[in-house]
Amino acid sequence: MEHGSLKDQRASTFSLTDEDHTLANSVRFTLNQDPRVTFCGYSIPHPSDARVNIRVQTTGDPASEVLKDSLQDLMGMCQHVRSIFDKAVIEFRMSRLALLAVVGSYVQQSVYPETGPLEN
Amino acid sequence: MEGVSYERFPKVKIREMKDDYLKFELRETDASMANALRRVMLAEVPTIAIDLVEIEVNSSVLNDEFIAHRLGLIPLTSDRAMAMRFSRDCDACDGDGQCEYCSVEFHLRARCVTDQTLDVTSKDLISSDPSVVPVDLSDSSGYDASEQRGIIIVKLRRGQELRLRAIARKGIGKDHAKWSPAATVTFMYEPDILINEDLMEALTLEEKKNWIESSPTKVFDIDPNTQQVVVVDPEAYTYDDEVIKKAEAMGKPGLVDIYAKEDSFIFTIESTGAIKASQLVINAIEVLKQKLDAVHLSEDTLEADDQFGDLGGHLRGG
Repeated sequence: MEHGSLKDQRASTFSLTDEDHTLANSVRFTLNQDPRVTFCGYSIPHPSDARVNIRVQTTGDPASEVLKDSLQDLMGMCQHVRSIFDKAVIEFRMSRLALLAVVGSYVQQSVYPETGPLEN
Repeated sequence: MEGVSYERFPKVKIREMKDDYLKFELRETDASMANALRRVMLAEVPTIAIDLVEIEVNSSVLNDEFIAHRLGLIPLTSDRAMAMRFSRDCDACDGDGQCEYCSVEFHLRARCVTDQTLDVTSKDLISSDPSVVPVDLSDSSGYDASEQRGIIIVKLRRGQELRLRAIARKGIGKDHAKWSPAATVTFMYEPDILINEDLMEALTLEEKKNWIESSPTKVFDIDPNTQQVVVVDPEAYTYDDEVIKKAEAMGKPGLVDIYAKEDSFIFTIESTGAIKASQLVINAIEVLKQKLDAVHLSEDTLEADDQFGDLGGHLRGG
């Protein structure tokens, strides 16, 4: 829900239902990164009511466009975090396997001194 | 009209990973993003938990609703949860939300016939779907048989019986804490500790030891070879300013400089066992993306018209 003026598209307040600090604070942060934004903030009118008001004022572009771009950026960030997290999990598992292989070969050498690695 | 993207590109490094415990670093992002991840992990990642209990026979010492409450809190393996539908959104069942697509059925039958007390545990819950079962909390070593009993629901005496049928549904932590997949999720700012070596030289060994002792957690120690104060565990620092106050009390302000790096976070995640800790983070990011999608779509005025009808046009000033 957008509360704005028909004449001045640069400033409006967006009222989102069923949202809380989780989304609003992150969107506020990405809005602040955008140089087109002169003012942005969010408020929760009442804690029992699941509603968030996000205020956006820009230098010239319509506020809804700027908000949409920020949401797009935030989605891109989430996707990026997801892919690097997946990579980090795989790397961690690989490094643990490598460590176990090295330890295993040392144990093998100490218990069976004449054999090479992977022989038994 | 998409201008230049102002995305930041965070970095992740995993420190420790077990099935139910995960410690990782998240850098080059803002506290609001880290907090959003934490909030979603605690309250909005869906899991499966028992939600409806039909009790046929209960002659135990606990009353019906007590047992139903305890059954709800038992963690169930919820790998299916992300793909499952909420009962209220399911169109395959005839409205009571008990079909195979949106729910899992359990039953439990226990009767004590011996003189010994019978422990009814989560292992006695029999599921209709083998992928959704009570979480097995036993150690993999399992050297003692008594360690592998499961969560105790109720204890029965000779002659007491418990027979019930339970339906488990998908839900989120926001509705009830039984659906929360995370036991604890914490993140801390990574500390940057700089010791002023010149001022440190001016202290005697005794004074150095005193100063190190004043910290409640072991952050500093004396290097046995060089007799210098070194940082042994920067992350044990809990941002209490004890060492700084002690330095001032000893007459040496500025002895150490500790500040929190504003864009570097260390997450510690403990899962209840319903979802693996690494899977929990991935699901949390998915849920966050879904929320953003929902808001993005509703910004489109056509969507608003669908949602609000004539009211949408009125709100837009039309």
